[in-house]
Amino acid sequence: MNLAWALEWRMAAIKNGIKGALAYRGEFLVGLIGSAIVPVGIQLMLWYAIFQSGNTTHFAGMDYPELLAYTWTSLLFSQIRGGDYDFELIEQIRTGTLSNFLLRPVGVVEFVFFQGFGEKLYTALVCLFFGLIATIFTKLTVIHLLMGLFLAILGNIIAYLLGASLAAAAFYWENAFAVLMVKNMVVSLLCGEVLPLSIVPEKYSFIWKSTPFYLFVYGPTQIALGKWDTHQFYAEVGFALLWILGFWAALKILWTYSINRYQGIGG
Amino acid sequence: MNSNSIAISVDQVTRSFRSVRKEEGLRGTMKLLFNPEYVTHEALKGISFTIPKGEFTGLIGANGAGKTTLLKILSGLIPPTSGEARVLGFTPFDRSLEFRKQISIVMGQKAQLWWDLPAIEAFDLLRALYQIPMDVYKKRVEELTTLLDVSKMLNTQIRRLSLGERMKMEVIGAILHLPKVIFLDEPTIGLDVLASKKLREFLKAHNQKEGATIILTSHNMDDISELCKRIILIKEGAMIYDGDPHTLTKQDECVLRVKLLSEPTLEEISSKTDIALDRILKDEEDQTTYLLSITRSRITEYFQKLLTHFEVADIGIQEASLERVIQKIYQN
Repeated sequence: MNLAWALEWRMAAIKNGIKGALAYRGEFLVGLIGSAIVPVGIQLMLWYAIFQSGNTTHFAGMDYPELLAYTWTSLLFSQIRGGDYDFELIEQIRTGTLSNFLLRPVGVVEFVFFQGFGEKLYTALVCLFFGLIATIFTKLTVIHLLMGLFLAILGNIIAYLLGASLAAAAFYWENAFAVLMVKNMVVSLLCGEVLPLSIVPEKYSFIWKSTPFYLFVYGPTQIALGKWDTHQFYAEVGFALLWILGFWAALKILWTYSINRYQGIGG
Repeated sequence: MNSNSIAISVDQVTRSFRSVRKEEGLRGTMKLLFNPEYVTHEALKGISFTIPKGEFTGLIGANGAGKTTLLKILSGLIPPTSGEARVLGFTPFDRSLEFRKQISIVMGQKAQLWWDLPAIEAFDLLRALYQIPMDVYKKRVEELTTLLDVSKMLNTQIRRLSLGERMKMEVIGAILHLPKVIFLDEPTIGLDVLASKKLREFLKAHNQKEGATIILTSHNMDDISELCKRIILIKEGAMIYDGDPHTLTKQDECVLRVKLLSEPTLEEISSKTDIALDRILKDEEDQTTYLLSITRSRITEYFQKLLTHFEVADIGIQEASLERVIQKIYQN
């Protein structure tokens, strides 16, 4: 395959995603802010209640200012995680619009990813902008922020590969949205966006450590806050790449077999 | 026919679909949960034909006849249950990169361009996907949009375009990379007379200029009769005709155009000639001219009856419209 072309169409798909996000700027911003308010609000109320009781000075291994820093920093990365483009795959399989992409000279799963990734890159830029402002007023450093963002972007790739693998269920069930909704609930709990994962007792920490979900929010937040050093950052990047490889292989196998069941219904 | 000159070959292709049969009501829903009943529907029953390169072929049949299923097999979206289909020497369902670069499909009922983006952005993405050199791409977009009269709409979001404009953009998007084989599934559906005509003229010119092999499915017989030198007629999954559309119209029916000196009622003509009332029409422009749809083999008989019972001023034979012939085939 021509390398220049391979790069060109991927860049074009990313640009298409960015253009799509920019087509509805107002909705994009409302979505961004709206999805941030609930988890942040819950956490802030929770920390306030815990520390107001006066019986504790540390919670989940952090004092009050540290918990506040965690909440605000994790907010940046929770906007980058996930995305609805795995849902888009199911919708395409269900309605037969996958046909539009199957006959293009590019991989459909990859194309949908790069298009959705374009939108997430735009989100990442917005988050970076707010993060850079935060570096002026807080202890957050630019380099740590960038390292955290990099890990969060790898997390986004993992999230999509997992979602796209699960979306193959739609070839069998047609309406397989529930699979992705369950995945999203598990991810939400284990990625560290609702609560910091240090809240989990040490003897149960293997639960979140054995999934890649902590790489979506908790890991990047720890990196950005300087709680994890550079060595750990490299180690986590290594783990992330291994997860990407594993899910990519799973995706290839699942789609290769499942796509034979595609009927392109709907006219 | 030389194998190099064949674009599409279909050999004994069948396709069946299995689906769950749901009985009516809550009881049916519960039964579906515990004891689903499956039914197999044969969408295609051993279809065979070949299409030479550059030919414009019409694929026609009633709703559910199997046209779209056949297009899906030929474009590689689904595999046949049995038999073999080959397009440009490729097995479509392998969906090899080279195959996908050389084909295109337009589905009149499904948007393929990106709904929220202007057409020009979608075309630019297609340029990248199909590796079209920038200078060639720019020239082609300008040429195609001018021909289809949509140059001014290039920067408008697809979803804000009228159906006709959107369809024109869809067709441009589908042929931008000059595919060797184009599948058109009801491209003029919902379009007004002018937009349909424009699109037909464009497709005809494109076929002649670029030599692309085109398969068209349409319920609009004007599309078929104006564009296709050959039609393949499918009924209930089986091919019942393959040939020139004019041969089909000459085969069975024709229209007897009779000008009478008197002005009898349609009932009178029907009773004297034994031609069913629904097959007799009055010419809208001339109240004493009648159009009688008759079977070609009985022309002499009707001719004699007319001369016996009425004063005939003029008489002539017209070919039955393709629409009328197809309608009759569907009904039978």
